[in-house]
This record gives sequence, C-alpha cells and structure tokens, in this order.
Amino acid sequence: MKASMTNPLTQRGRCHVFGDGIPLDEGVMAFKYAIGRITDPEQLIPHLFEDIDPTFAARVQPGDFVIAGRDFGCGKPHIQGFIAMAALHMGVLCTSMPYKAMRGAISKGLPVLTGCEGAAEFARNGDDIEVNFATGQAINHTQGTHKTFPAMPSVLQDIIAHGGAQGQLAAWLDAHAEQRAGAGAPSVMIDGTTVHLVRKAVVA
Amino acid sequence: MTNAAPMTATQKILARACQRSHVAPGEVIYPEPEWVIVHDGFVETAYKELHSLGYGSIAHPERVMFVTDHEVSYGSQRAVERGRNIRQIAKAWKVGQVYDAGRGGHGHIFPMEQGLVRPGMFLFAYDMHCTNFGAVGALAMAAGTEVTAVLATGSLWTRVPETVRIDLQGQLPRGSHARDVGFLLAHGFAQGRWGVEHDYRVIEFGGPGIDTLDLASRVALCNSITEMGVANVLFATPPPGVDTHGAPDFISDANAPYESRFDFDLGSVSPQVALPGGPDRAERLDKVLGQPIDHATLGACGSGMYQDFADAARLFQGQRVADGVRFFVVPGTAQTARRMADDGLTQIFLDAGAIMLPPGCGPCAGGSMAPLGPAEVSIATAATNHAGRFGAHDGQIYLGSPLTVAASAIAGCLADPRPLTPA
Repeated sequence: MKASMTNPLTQRGRCHVFGDGIPLDEGVMAFKYAIGRITDPEQLIPHLFEDIDPTFAARVQPGDFVIAGRDFGCGKPHIQGFIAMAALHMGVLCTSMPYKAMRGAISKGLPVLTGCEGAAEFARNGDDIEVNFATGQAINHTQGTHKTFPAMPSVLQDIIAHGGAQGQLAAWLDAHAEQRAGAGAPSVMIDGTTVHLVRKAVVA
Repeated sequence: MTNAAPMTATQKILARACQRSHVAPGEVIYPEPEWVIVHDGFVETAYKELHSLGYGSIAHPERVMFVTDHEVSYGSQRAVERGRNIRQIAKAWKVGQVYDAGRGGHGHIFPMEQGLVRPGMFLFAYDMHCTNFGAVGALAMAAGTEVTAVLATGSLWTRVPETVRIDLQGQLPRGSHARDVGFLLAHGFAQGRWGVEHDYRVIEFGGPGIDTLDLASRVALCNSITEMGVANVLFATPPPGVDTHGAPDFISDANAPYESRFDFDLGSVSPQVALPGGPDRAERLDKVLGQPIDHATLGACGSGMYQDFADAARLFQGQRVADGVRFFVVPGTAQTARRMADDGLTQIFLDAGAIMLPPGCGPCAGGSMAPLGPAEVSIATAATNHAGRFGAHDGQIYLGSPLTVAASAIAGCLADPRPLTPA
C-alpha cells in the first residue's frame, strides 16, 4: 500500500506534560468546537488545551509531544483535539487512554503510545525527546536518559503511516482497482446534494 | 488441542474470525465478520464518504445487511427521500440482505429471531446496541462511523478485549427484571463498586443464575449495560430454544484468562429506574415513586421481544392507561407484532388505551416518532435517556423495566409493578 503522508513513526520534539484524567471536552479542546462540527485544523489549533493551559498554543511546535498520565482523553470521544494534534504532527505518550479516545486518535493519524508507566518522570515540561513509536524506544536528549515503553501494535503503525483511517482507505482503493467507481449509473440526492452512484474516481 | 492456551469466548470468536487458533487480549487484529449490519440512519453517510474517496463497490456485499428501524414510517419528506436512496444504494452496492421499511423490524432483534445471527458468530454493526446479540453468544462489535472501513475493506482493526466474568447467583424476586440488574450493574461499574475496569471490557455473564433468564431478559441485560463503555456483553451459554447446531466452539474454557471475576446475587435486586441523563444513573424505584408522567414507552431494542410484551400485558388485566398519559407500545419486530396480534396481546394493550407503533426503535431514535414535548416526563424501556433522546431537549426520560413502565402507565406516575405482578 502506498503511504500518502504524514506522521513519521519516529519523531523528535519538546514535551508538554499533563497529569491524570485530562478530558477531551474542556481539556484537550472545548466542547463548542465538537458540537460546532469544526474539522478544519487551522481553526482548531489555536484552541488546543486552552482550557487548562492558555499559553499552550503559543508554545507548541510541530512534532512536539504530549506526556499524560492515566485516562488521557476521557469523556465523550470527540475528535477535534486529535485533528489539531495530528495536523501539528504531534505524538502522545500516556499511561492509559479510554479505548474510544485511542481509536479516535489513531483514526486521525495521531501516533500514541499507551501503557507508558513513568512517562511523567522520564520527560519534564520542555524536555527535548525522540520517540520511535514502532519500537517504543525513547531518548531524552535534555536529560541524557532513555527508556523503552510498549511499542505501538504493528497494525496501528500501518494506519499512522498512511496518515490515518482516510489515508488507509485511499490506499486500499489503490490496491483494489476493481472497487473503483466507473461511470454511467443513476444518482441520489442526499441533503440537497446530488451524489452520483457511480462516477469517475477522485482519490487523494 | 488439549495443550492449547485457554481462551475466553471472546478470544475464541475473534481468533476464528481472523483464521487463527489463538489471539490474546491486547492484540490488534483484523477480524472478518459474518455480517455487517447498518441501519437506515447511516447508509447515506457511508455512501457519501466512500463515494468521495472514489469507491464504486464494497468488499463483501453479500455479508452486508441494511435494516430499517430508525425511521420506519417515514415521518417527513426527507425520510421518504432517504428510503429511496437506501434502496438505490443497496442495488448499486449489491447488498446481500435489505430489510426495508416494514420488513424485519429492529436490526438488533430480528436477526436473532430469524436465526441469521447465531451462537459463536462474529459481526460488525454501525450501532452500539448490537451488543444484544451477546444474548445468544454472538459477538457483534460496534464500529460506529468506522463501519465505512468495514464496508470498503471487509474488516476493521480491533483490539482483542479483556473479559470481566460476572457469575449470577439466585433468581430475581417477583416484580424485578433483568433491566433492573442492568441499571444496578451500570451504576456499580461507573462508581467503581467492584474495583474492576470496565472500559472496553467484555462483560461475560455466567453462573447458575443465567439459567433463570429467558432470551428477552438476556437481551435486556446486554442492552442496559452497553452505554457505559464496555466492548461487549456475552452470555456464557445460550438459553434453551436457541439453535446451537453446527455452531463453532464459542464457550469460554474453564480456566479462561478472565481479567476479573465476581458474583452478583439476582435475589437482591429490587425494581430500579435510571434517572434522566444516562442508563448508569440507577436509583431505587421507591425513591422516585409518584413522579407524574406524560409519556410511556414499551419496546425498543432492549425490551422489544415477545416475552417483554407478554410480561407487561399481565399487569393490564382490568387496568387502563391513566388519563393524560400517552402510552406507546413498539413491538421489536414484524414477527413479534404479528404474534401479538394473533394471540391477543395487541388487543389487551389497545383495550387499555395504548397506542401501537410499527416495529422498530419507536421514540428512542431521536423522537422522530411519538416524541416527548418540552418539560414533559417519560418512563421507557429505551436503550438510553440522554437529553433530547426522545425529541425535546428538556424532556425528562426515566428508564425502567417493562413491568415498571406498564405499572407507571396505569398509575400516571412512576409506580411499583409488584402490587400488580401476578405471583
């Protein structure tokens, strides 16, 4: 399958350390962006973590890491925060994450390592670290230390390598040309928009 | 294989679904489902998404089942259009099983009744309440919006979940119901009462108490604890009457690696309600007795089997629905509706002043049918009771058992079913 882009499985950046139980709503991202169904990362990035750290958006750099404790992303599994983090090519190391939140992160192409006991001791705010998600190996360049966390399952590495679930579906279609839409079938009207049942394919 | 590592039912079903002899909790796999069930609320969205990616066909259309349970009677012009689109999409994708409006009924029930979903099967479904199928020992994973990936590729990445085993002891007292057990368990898990994790765990029910629960009761129990974030719910063995002929090995090994295990005494269960806001907000019914109601609903995916209506109908001997209460009866399936009409149950409800709705979700599908008005109060056997579930955002929905709903519809307020429950 062709890798369309985006998040590498090895990355280096600065750490932003949070504690246990950071919720998705009013934690990672205010609920109003979820209920507003905003999915444009440019609109979402300025509001990442603003409820718990108003200076976050000004400090964060592409490739940075979120280091979190237990139950990162608890509450309703809204994905707006993950969209913003994935667009910034961030990575997450946490002790645990509710399953639906973890699915949402992977689906958006955000690499996460769960089961990272001791991550908050390994990396402090602002530390420069490098993480290989495929092996779980982490190097703290600021502290001169290293640690091995549980690796990301290989199935999930593949999804991250394709930039998330949408990228993976596009790659599947590339590999299964027989499923590609042809021409000449009737159309359906969905919410006022005409959608042709079959048309020439547009693949990202 | 006598030396094989012991497995839970969930491991066995998932291992078989990815053609392996063993899978371990925590592994991420691509299991292939025997069915993919998508309801009428999501078919168009799935089509739009795959179409925009360039897909003209899906991977295994013969395994796909479209069901119509959310907008059964087309309450709007948009619903008429949606029905037409679904039929066209089904044709374009060559979908194997299409249950149109008025056919089949609730997609979480009729596939069990008709033997389409059988013990040991693995399925994917769009809707989370597919956990119902655990009542017959089938494992249906809720894919949510990711069901588009199942349609496109034939599978979806799945982490093999851990299992919590609950051994049911004793039997329910008269007037108590499996739904009451479900509310208590959901509340207890949310409060951490047993000190066990429940996020993305399979809750497996076993122990001698399961033999006292019929299929409808098992469905009610599977359904009531679904929304607390479990991966699934399974009964260790199917009830009598469920055909296991030709089923694969789907029973947990005696020394299966359960993550945790505890006993639950059915004999201790009194009637409960779930307070408005969520199925885990259990409260003893006697704490809220007398709360006036405007609306009552019997049916929906968790309590839409024939036995649910038969049990509730027994409370209506010589009783009528209270003035000022709209009491809706929603048979789960076309087959159940026919049986109720044949044997007089429908007559009992109609004589009492109930309103019969077509098989499906009833008001629980967002209130597109028989909605709750602003500031009104309902008692229902619905799957959930979050704000706005029956329409009005400030409507208050209590959840209760079929018995509690019937008693309350008669009293015009939340009422204890025990005085009306025959011995």
